[in-house]
Amino acid sequence: MINNNKECDQAARAHQIRVVNASKGFVSREDTNLLVSMERANQSHVLVGCRGGGCGKCRIQVLEGDYQSKKMSRAHIHPGEPEQGIVLACRIFARSDLTIQPLAAEH
Amino acid sequence: MKYGVMRPGHVQIRVLDLDEAVRHYCDLMGMIEMDRDDQGRVYLKAWTEVDKYSVVLKESDEAGMDFMAFKVVSEDVLDTLRHKLVDYGVAVTDLPADELKDCGRRVRFTAPTGHQFELFASKLQTGKWGINKVNPEAWPRGLQGMAVTRFDHCLLYGPDVPGTTRLFQEVLGFDLGERVITPDDSQTLIGSFLTVGMKAHDVAFIEHAEPGKFHHASFFLETWEDVLRAADLISMTDTPIDIGPTRHGLTNGRTIYFFDPSGNRSEVFANGNYHYPDHEPVTWTADQLGKAIFYHDRVLNERFLTVLS
Ligand code: FES
Ligand SMILES: [Fe+2]
Repeated sequence: MINNNKECDQAARAHQIRVVNASKGFVSREDTNLLVSMERANQSHVLVGCRGGGCGKCRIQVLEGDYQSKKMSRAHIHPGEPEQGIVLACRIFARSDLTIQPLAAEH
Repeated sequence: MKYGVMRPGHVQIRVLDLDEAVRHYCDLMGMIEMDRDDQGRVYLKAWTEVDKYSVVLKESDEAGMDFMAFKVVSEDVLDTLRHKLVDYGVAVTDLPADELKDCGRRVRFTAPTGHQFELFASKLQTGKWGINKVNPEAWPRGLQGMAVTRFDHCLLYGPDVPGTTRLFQEVLGFDLGERVITPDDSQTLIGSFLTVGMKAHDVAFIEHAEPGKFHHASFFLETWEDVLRAADLISMTDTPIDIGPTRHGLTNGRTIYFFDPSGNRSEVFANGNYHYPDHEPVTWTADQLGKAIFYHDRVLNERFLTVLS
């Protein structure tokens, strides 16, 4: 069984996330996906759904910065979109400061 | 069981990452890994089930449900139901024995809601996990996490719930245990909870424009205390939660919803209504849908209606 106790003592690197047209951004640790980081900061720029890459609610475009992504459902992120920085916020992990733009959810 | 359909048999769930999914369904929920096949599929069971498996995980680049299957009482009944489906105008596909490991031939069809269903009569029975067939102990030690007892039902979203309900009632002998209707004179069926036995539901449908969507697969726990313990485990593992612990108005179950690592919703629940064939369907009207779904909050969260895989 995995629980979170191990996370307490190792502070992961954190990056600043700017949101286009929003006065406030949030901080995202390298080991925490962008969507959960936003929720922990009590912010709501991006719609929150399954937090697992399955529902397509949390589509964003990353305009600037580096990140790592986990596999995203092809029902919601189409071929060619990752190259434009269009991703699911719950599947990416910041590797530098980022500028993001929330997109409408896909159906 | 009017026409020989016995119970939910299995569900094949698409996941984005197999190892993460196995950790969710086994380490967190307490299912047991029984087998794998050369397509890379993983076969799981809950401990009280007698058949070898009830959940099949398949790695894919899209989340959701591939199909849900019901077990029927015999190979003869399988033939009869196959003919009834064809006569009703439903196209069927025959899958050979062992396409799923240790499972007999399956008859597959698509419901008007866009979901694929299967009927089968035979699957290897390995017996309840961890206890003897004769003089069984109360429960096996060594279960993980929530220790779910059985795969119970799926809730599916798609178009034409009235047509799908008729198909399940008239061809397969399901009863309408509970329902949601519009409050106007048309009394249109928009939510349908169907059962083949005494359970409140074996499969449920909610009207939705997009076909073939998966809302959740649900697993049974014995008590409310077990549901609270499940909630603790969800927090301990930082598993994405949807809502709960709470009670449903519909089916009267005590429940919690959360998500697997691919965004498929899982439910564990305890208790709830029972059904006999002479029962009128328990009826809720759509203007009370908040209370029907979440009895305590009495409001629907947007997520329940629109977050699907
Ligand atoms: S919240 Fe469902 S895909 Fe991100
Ligand atoms: Fe359910």
